[in-house]
Amino acid sequence: MSSEAESATDVPVAERSTRSIDLESVRAIARKDFRDAVRSWLFWGLSVFFFALLVTLTGVISYFGGDVILAEGATTEVLVGQVYGVGSLIIPVIALVLGWKAIAGERESGSIKIMLSLPHSRRDVVLGKLVGRAGVLSLSLLVGFVLAAVPVAVLLGTFDPTDYVGLLAVSILYGIVYTSVAIAVSSVTRSTTFAAAGAFGVFVLFYVVWGTIATAVGFLMAFDYLPESETIAELTMLFQNLNPNAAYGNVLSLVTSAAELGEQEVAALETMFDGSIPFYLQDWFALLILLAWIVIPVALAIYRFDRTDL
Amino acid sequence: MPAITVHGLTKSYGQTLALQDLSFEVEDGEVFGFLGPNGAGKSTTINVLLDFVRPTDGRVEVLGLDAQTHSREIRSRTGVLPEGYQVYDRLTGRQHLEFAIDSKGVDADPDRLLERVGIADAADKKAGGYSKGMAQRLMLAMALVGDPDLLILDEPATGLDPNGAREMREIVRAENDRGATVFFSSHRMEQVEAVCDRVGILRNGEMVAVDSVEGLRDSLEDGTTLRVTVDRIDDDTLQAVRSLSEVSSATVEDGGQPTLVVGVDGSKTAVLGELEDHGIEVRDFSTQEASLEDVFQSYTTEAETGVQAR
Repeated sequence: MSSEAESATDVPVAERSTRSIDLESVRAIARKDFRDAVRSWLFWGLSVFFFALLVTLTGVISYFGGDVILAEGATTEVLVGQVYGVGSLIIPVIALVLGWKAIAGERESGSIKIMLSLPHSRRDVVLGKLVGRAGVLSLSLLVGFVLAAVPVAVLLGTFDPTDYVGLLAVSILYGIVYTSVAIAVSSVTRSTTFAAAGAFGVFVLFYVVWGTIATAVGFLMAFDYLPESETIAELTMLFQNLNPNAAYGNVLSLVTSAAELGEQEVAALETMFDGSIPFYLQDWFALLILLAWIVIPVALAIYRFDRTDL
Repeated sequence: MPAITVHGLTKSYGQTLALQDLSFEVEDGEVFGFLGPNGAGKSTTINVLLDFVRPTDGRVEVLGLDAQTHSREIRSRTGVLPEGYQVYDRLTGRQHLEFAIDSKGVDADPDRLLERVGIADAADKKAGGYSKGMAQRLMLAMALVGDPDLLILDEPATGLDPNGAREMREIVRAENDRGATVFFSSHRMEQVEAVCDRVGILRNGEMVAVDSVEGLRDSLEDGTTLRVTVDRIDDDTLQAVRSLSEVSSATVEDGGQPTLVVGVDGSKTAVLGELEDHGIEVRDFSTQEASLEDVFQSYTTEAETGVQAR
């Protein structure tokens, strides 16, 4: 803030520097993005979808397993498990579809010139897009969950608000993870074709490649192509846990009463690691993994997008 | 302090050199016409001014601030009508202006701005349904938000009918009277000659002339072109005409009848007298003032026309 030109005029926006992040800009971009890219039917459609998903899963639980689960008083945790099963597949798809065009689309059409003719930094654009798109997903999850709360409680007979809110919060976090990845993919290319391929690639990476690598390492060890060492086994487990989908499940078991592993499995792990489970297999570490999956893609996107020609 | 300083600007895209050692200045408070054929590098220059692309070499200052490090400040005090943009299809005209007002953090009335550019009746229509001319007017309205110190208009007349182009020029004049500097690119001389104080002509990434409109007109050796239709012509006569002090060039056009095309600075009667002295019958003659279009042609096309700039 050294130039005399700045002190001579009283433009509030002029006080912000170029590479910085400005919250007012982020808000303006997110607001524009919400109005432009997200039509209201999309928002309400997603809300209704999440509502229907919750009510359907609850209906299935109470119809098929009702008595047994009810007797144990663990209905909401069963719902958590069911939502994890479906949500870990559906939420990434929705987030990637919402986000893949966010920046590449504007670069391809040239409308990004309108946005960047205004006093926004490239960083504001990346963050504004993230907030806008993640906002749609988060708000529709929130609306769906709130609307479904009463039918879920009625169908199950018992209702644990802590588990329910925990499930919502972690699902929102998980949605932000994939939105962040989608925005990052969208920011590295000018072509929506490449962006679409990238988004599809992300899905394949986390759902096919990741598991295949872990399985392959296991096989290689079993057939003596790799030395059967504890280090490799531990690294493989760490690797599996780094997958955001695994982290979603692990964090759910941290914040809700639904345990991902049974007591016997935990005991088996404890025996394997001589009584103490290593930090990276513990649930609090999974929360860090989820947060890292939000921060790192966006940070890379900002780094790259800051330096590129439009 | 100049409004724009470009010094030694070079920009290459891989092997392609878009701008080569380009230098010019735009004075504070003037209307500067940035002229050149398509592909000369006008948009690349503007993209560097706005930090859409980064220079390979050179220094660029806008409003006394470095175009890269202080881009946000620059854009907060600049109104931009970009080239090669696409409007946000699902936002209305008013929402576009609200985005600009929001982004600049100023207080302005969208309806007044839309009225000023003549599309007030389309304020609540989605911009996706706008014609090219209406989109251009909308962009001009967005550029005017917050009474900017500098207006950068990239091919503003694109898609406008003659009436629209005239209205656009009136707005440029009014903004200039208010105190704004206007930087205005075009590939057509007629767009800039009526409104610009000075004109810079860009060709193949290099500035080939910068002068006032009158100065450019004067820079042509042959201020007037004399066309004389004669019954015959011979080399002696042609040499004699060429050696006249008033004559800068003389060529013969072969048509149905030979026609002498003579560039004259001064008396035309000397040429006609010389022809008669050689016993040549003058059947018809006409004179033609050099138009700025000729000036532009002479600077931007290879020198085949016989019109040479000094």
